[in-house]
Amino acid sequence: MSRVASDTVGNGALVPFSEDTKDSLAVYPLHHGLAPPISRIAISWARGNSLRVSLFAAPSSEHSRTPQDHSGGKVLEVKLGVGDPEISDSRWRQIAYGSVAPFALLQSRRSALSEMIKSSSPYQMDWWENVLEYSKDITSLLGGPKLPPGPIIEERTDIVKKREEPTCLKAAWELLEIFYADKQSQAWLPEKLVDWLADYDSLFSSTHETVYGKLARFQKELVNIQVLEDDPRYWEVMSSALSVGWLDIVVKMLRLHGSYQLDQLSNRELENGLVEAVAVLISKMPRLCHESTNGKLGELFKSKPDFIKAWEKWRSQITKLDCSPFWIQCDNHHTREGLRNLLQIMLGNTESLCMATCYWIELYISHFLYIRPFTTGIESMYNLAQKCIQLKPPSSNHKLTGLIVGILEENTEVVLAESSREFGPWMVAHAIELLTAGSEQAEIVLHDERYNLGGISMIELHRLVYAQVLSSHALTWQIAPIYLTSCMKQGMGLLENLLYRQSIQHNDLLLKNIEICRLYELDHISSDIMKVAGVYHWKHGHKGAGVYWLQRSKDTSRLNRIAQQLFDSVGKSISDESFKQWEGLIELLGSESKPAGGLEFLHKYRDFKRSLQQIYGGKSTDAARQAVGSLILLMKNPSTPQRFWLPLLYDSLKLFNWKECPLLNVSETNLLLNKLQELSWARLRPHFSEPNLPAEALSSIRLALATNLGRAILDE
Amino acid sequence: MAATAMSVSERPVIHRLPQHKYIDAVRWLPPLSTFDRFAVLAAFDTDSGSSSIEIHSLNPNPLSLQPHSSFSSSSRVSSLRASQFLQKTVVAASTAAGSLHILFSDSADATFESEVSMPEEEGLHSVPGSCVDLMDGGVECVTVGEDGRVNLVSIGNSNLSCDRLFDSGGLVSYTAAKWASPMEFATGGYGFSLQWWDKRKPGGPVSQFKANWDQKFTAGIVHSIDIHPSRKHTCLAGGSLGTVFAWDLRWQQQPIILSEAGVQSISESEVWEVQYDRCIKSSTTSTRILPAVICSEDGILAIIEQGEEPIELLAEPCAINGFDIDRHNPSDVICSLEWEAVAILTRR
Repeated sequence: MSRVASDTVGNGALVPFSEDTKDSLAVYPLHHGLAPPISRIAISWARGNSLRVSLFAAPSSEHSRTPQDHSGGKVLEVKLGVGDPEISDSRWRQIAYGSVAPFALLQSRRSALSEMIKSSSPYQMDWWENVLEYSKDITSLLGGPKLPPGPIIEERTDIVKKREEPTCLKAAWELLEIFYADKQSQAWLPEKLVDWLADYDSLFSSTHETVYGKLARFQKELVNIQVLEDDPRYWEVMSSALSVGWLDIVVKMLRLHGSYQLDQLSNRELENGLVEAVAVLISKMPRLCHESTNGKLGELFKSKPDFIKAWEKWRSQITKLDCSPFWIQCDNHHTREGLRNLLQIMLGNTESLCMATCYWIELYISHFLYIRPFTTGIESMYNLAQKCIQLKPPSSNHKLTGLIVGILEENTEVVLAESSREFGPWMVAHAIELLTAGSEQAEIVLHDERYNLGGISMIELHRLVYAQVLSSHALTWQIAPIYLTSCMKQGMGLLENLLYRQSIQHNDLLLKNIEICRLYELDHISSDIMKVAGVYHWKHGHKGAGVYWLQRSKDTSRLNRIAQQLFDSVGKSISDESFKQWEGLIELLGSESKPAGGLEFLHKYRDFKRSLQQIYGGKSTDAARQAVGSLILLMKNPSTPQRFWLPLLYDSLKLFNWKECPLLNVSETNLLLNKLQELSWARLRPHFSEPNLPAEALSSIRLALATNLGRAILDE
Repeated sequence: MAATAMSVSERPVIHRLPQHKYIDAVRWLPPLSTFDRFAVLAAFDTDSGSSSIEIHSLNPNPLSLQPHSSFSSSSRVSSLRASQFLQKTVVAASTAAGSLHILFSDSADATFESEVSMPEEEGLHSVPGSCVDLMDGGVECVTVGEDGRVNLVSIGNSNLSCDRLFDSGGLVSYTAAKWASPMEFATGGYGFSLQWWDKRKPGGPVSQFKANWDQKFTAGIVHSIDIHPSRKHTCLAGGSLGTVFAWDLRWQQQPIILSEAGVQSISESEVWEVQYDRCIKSSTTSTRILPAVICSEDGILAIIEQGEEPIELLAEPCAINGFDIDRHNPSDVICSLEWEAVAILTRR
């Protein structure tokens, strides 16, 4: 991908663009520091989301060339996109690392389960418990421990407690968990949603007004307000908080009412009585709940019949208070109207709820709380949502609302698309596990192999996409295999690609790569990688490392070939001092059973050299015999290169002329003489390289061998 | 994998501290006072592509690492050592580009105050992959590399002077080094080879170890060596295929294998680092190899002892790339985890 830039280099822009495309255009300034004009640009993909831009400066004319102007071009990497504003790259990597273990555990459980199904027929009904455990693990990764729901008032001025910043990602995950993974919560969906909104209402503040936003703003102004109950905002904020069920906040705020102050208590007794009555009613609101949630106001009921009884009793108490004659006697207009509005909210007055809530989800939640606490079934929940959207049409779309609507529509494809669009490949690859646990219909949709996807399923597609994202980063590529191996059709092929693509220059990386091959039993790949590493090291002059890797990959043919190259330097530099350097390499070759190819010659050569050295030191006949043994072995061995024959024999002159006794017997001497004969024929061929030996070398060897032969014949 | 079970009360307390950077190496710093504790981390930030050597202070409650002082390195750190010399802490770091950095930190406040470097142009090592060991007392370094060079670098206040002891010209590569005494050190390399060197005898190793390993068995690469001050004749090495062995200079060519891939092994992959466990007081008269701690690519940190079942201290889902036992508080171990985190273990 490259193109020659047009000639608008003067202002720094390389390609002119028209005004009408400006909205969809992202401009990345390049700080290349090259003097214009730039003659050529090449653009290619770098790792991940980066483009590699190579800029070539035009060869400058002679007179403009300055001494500093020697750079003819520059290569830059441009990172595309701005990333996620909510979650930084390093945080994403932490999430990626953390989700490996839960994902792998779930996959291994699934395969264990499918084994079980093969043997026994009944389908495991509590698979969702595994999925729920997985989901909880992922949730804990996305943020700290869950705090008591809802903002809490601590001090007079502290209505909304600052907590760990919630993220849309965590909110979305919990939403999926509530609807798909947690089968126990199916009967309590509305209550779960109430809790969910209490945790995440603040997120919606980014696109529109929320109850949380109102509360937070009011808290800031609280210190400046003299008479709280005379401020209409006090009542407005309380009605909003009540409408979404943040009972503890409302009760706490009610207790800030001026009539509670000691100096006013006596002359505002009636007013205070009414405030307190409402506060008590609020704190006694019956709530349906399957688990004891600590710190939550309201009377908790675990069974529906009990709840219904309590609910009706509570409603009648509210109605009674609403019709009470005390209201007329209450002379504080603000208090009277404010409190009665709170009662209307609790009685489920649609108009009051509509006024108190800010957007459709809050209205939706308030419906569950005060109008239809017995809503069950997704379909009726969806109808209610439709109604709320009509009552409060959304002005702008928040990234979570699309997801919520998709879930309520029971449209798996929409849920997937929304997750993918708003939260990226990590979300989809991991959330699919929840979706498949949700319903059989979803499972069919997701597992179905599709022709238009090249015969793979949606599950596989999204895992592959996520694995590609992981593969593109230097720190996460090592976890991609876990996802790739869970893909039946394309996974292994892509894994092979990934492994082949890694750099082999650094041992750490190379060894990690080989370790992955070992884990997935990809011996042929690790063997190939070792070969590549061997050749790389060999070419870069690390002969030892090159030999090591080629040996490990059992690549005899390449070892043979490099042996020929090695011998060139052996032949020249085998003087006794430099032999120290060779010793280590020869040690590396290991025992003879190891595949060493032509290099095994070096071994015997080393043994021969050693025993020769001993002879020059002392004059032991035993050592000399040993040396002869090595020499004969070397000369018999077909892997000994021909060009070494003459130097070897020349080195051994001393052995042939041994004073005490002839060291070689008749057949051995004949063998060497034959080799000498062979050599003289070989000399006639072209390309024969003459060893660097004195001119009389050949004749002196011949003479010595002949003498030895004579002595040996006499001996025998 | 075999490991003796530990009762709950014996299990170490583990803190995992995410760093949001890849940790290339980690060491404890020698203690400056009884209250403050510091560790030095070699970090690589992939987002900015920058490497740094950072001193972090250890805060006890809750346990956390606080960046304290930092030095930015030109390339990624391949090995890191810390020692004390007079009243100063000396940190030595070799980099992937072949340069060497010596950092001095004042003992009073543990901040880097001066630095001497041997830049890559000086040609200390020509290839990626070099290893440094700092002599106790911190006046001399040995650096070895895959290019087959063995250098002795003496540390001055303002300069470093390098002396090439040996150059194999790439015929032999070295991947680990450890001082045994002010005059001797050991190196390791491919094929589980170990070499013993004496500064006074240049021109080659004074002794070489290369056993005939099992026929089926491929010899691997030595990644780390340790030598106990009380037993200078024994060289402990850890490397590929879960192998940990000891080489007794007096029993040459006979390795004492403490762990290798197979039935008894705690790990089957690369053993990245090995250190004698200073926590366990073994009787000095024993002829057995002293207990040691290892960490591995498959995420294991364990104590291994000759003739005993290994004891697993930590099992992570990712590789443990390195660790360091605090010499002054031997029950504390700091580990660098592959997933951009550091783990601190306190043994009870």
